Amino acid sequence: MSIIIISSDSLDHAEQIAEGAAEAVGYQLLGPDLLGDIAAAHKLPVEKLKEALGANHSKWRRMRTKRRAQLLACIEAEVLSRLMADRIVCWGLAAHLYVEGVSHALKVRLLADTREQVKLVALQRDISEQRAEKVLQREKLKQAQWSQIAYNCDESDPSMYDLVINLAQINPDESIKTISGAVGYRKFQPMTYSTKNLAECALAAKVKTRLLENMNEVRVQVRDGRVVVTSKAFKRERQKKAAAIKEIAGGVEGVEFVEVHLINYVIREAAESFR
Amino acid sequence: MAIITISRGSYSMGKIVSENVAQRLGYSVISRDLLLDASDRFHISEIKLIRAIHDAPGILGRLSHSKQAYLAYIQSALTERVCSDNVVYHGLAGHILLKDIPGVLKVRITADMNYRVAREMKREGIGEQEARAILERDDQQRRKWTKSLHGVDPWDSSLYDLVIRIDRFKVDDAVDFICRATETEGFRTSERTLQEIKDLALACRVKAEIVDDFPTLGVTCHYGNVIVYTKDKTHGAKLQKQLDAVRKTVGGIYNLEIHSSGSFPSDAV
Repeated sequence: MSIIIISSDSLDHAEQIAEGAAEAVGYQLLGPDLLGDIAAAHKLPVEKLKEALGANHSKWRRMRTKRRAQLLACIEAEVLSRLMADRIVCWGLAAHLYVEGVSHALKVRLLADTREQVKLVALQRDISEQRAEKVLQREKLKQAQWSQIAYNCDESDPSMYDLVINLAQINPDESIKTISGAVGYRKFQPMTYSTKNLAECALAAKVKTRLLENMNEVRVQVRDGRVVVTSKAFKRERQKKAAAIKEIAGGVEGVEFVEVHLINYVIREAAESFR
Repeated sequence: MAIITISRGSYSMGKIVSENVAQRLGYSVISRDLLLDASDRFHISEIKLIRAIHDAPGILGRLSHSKQAYLAYIQSALTERVCSDNVVYHGLAGHILLKDIPGVLKVRITADMNYRVAREMKREGIGEQEARAILERDDQQRRKWTKSLHGVDPWDSSLYDLVIRIDRFKVDDAVDFICRATETEGFRTSERTLQEIKDLALACRVKAEIVDDFPTLGVTCHYGNVIVYTKDKTHGAKLQKQLDAVRKTVGGIYNLEIHSSGSFPSDAV
């Protein structure tokens, strides 16, 4: 049983197709409603989680890097642990950007009909279609910036997806049939390796969430139960930081062994030595 | 009944997918043989045509006069072939050459680079580094060619109706997707679509006949009414004479006129 991850340049289309696909294959739906649960569990405002996902561009740009990383880590941890249940259609949570190396995840990108979008924006904002086109272009650029800064990739890059469907010509019903048909293919059945990868991604996200409560700039990877944390530190505090990381990460359920790699803050230390 | 264009990078299984789709649907396949058509019709060597579609523009970034002409010949040959409907075209820029025709199913086949490298290594019997260098160069060349000629990035997924990553599916799966898409109402060739294709083919044919002497003209055609747009007012008599000759040799032209204009319509060839 697979996981279907739907990404789109239009949230409305993503929701429509996700719901249709979930109904067609009998899968559970996982969408932005999850943000409420995450907010409650971590005592965070829901609006901040939405902003971290790029919902409000100007607020997202003003967010501090550490704060953004923390919020995204909370979202990733919860989404990845839910995806372990399998038979899920996930949309609106940017899962296509952080679910990696999981072969039984079918990643689909939906492209909205640009002409329809232009007409809609023109109608909503009471502007000409020419202006509406420019507004849309700006929105797409902002979205590309968000994915580049948050995840160091362009989410419109088709090589990130297994299927890209242009809704300008292929209608939603056909899209749903195509997606529903695809999950039956052998390559999208969970294998031991891909299930293990997903579990390791979920664990890494959990550890990262805990670590980011106390420090910034951490990278966490998990391989065969071994957690590898990479971060930066001044020379004088390396031992202390390494010990702190091991204690925090070691306290997360499922972690057997923690390995810490600390890189020196070369430039900062050089700057400090001149003071 | 449909027209399908399949675009792909090297070693992305696009050719196999195209042939299987055509076989399953009972369609004809057009690819490199198109160049033979253009070569025969316009008396240009196949080598020159191949270079026109493979080599990106040079440092100055301009297309030579002859290259523009060769591309016009290729487009003319392609549009005349798709008039017969029920075709699968796999070759360079089909999604761009036929982009103004509604109901053409435009598909792109992609694959992970490592997958492509492995296939090239196996097929050519070369090492990984060499294979990767060849593929990267080929991709860059194709991308540059399409961008310079048509102002679009061929990797932009919005140019296509369907993009399929072939290393994540079997060939048969990709064929299933494409065949299923042709059943969608929007891709069934209607009378209107057929007429638009015929008009485009005629416009391309007229352009190909005069591009040698007049490389900067635009041509439109609606129900056999051909309009040739020129920005150069000095073309006048010479152009008219050539068009009179074209009218005698090219069938299907109901009316043919010249418009002097500062800009060409967006659907002009």
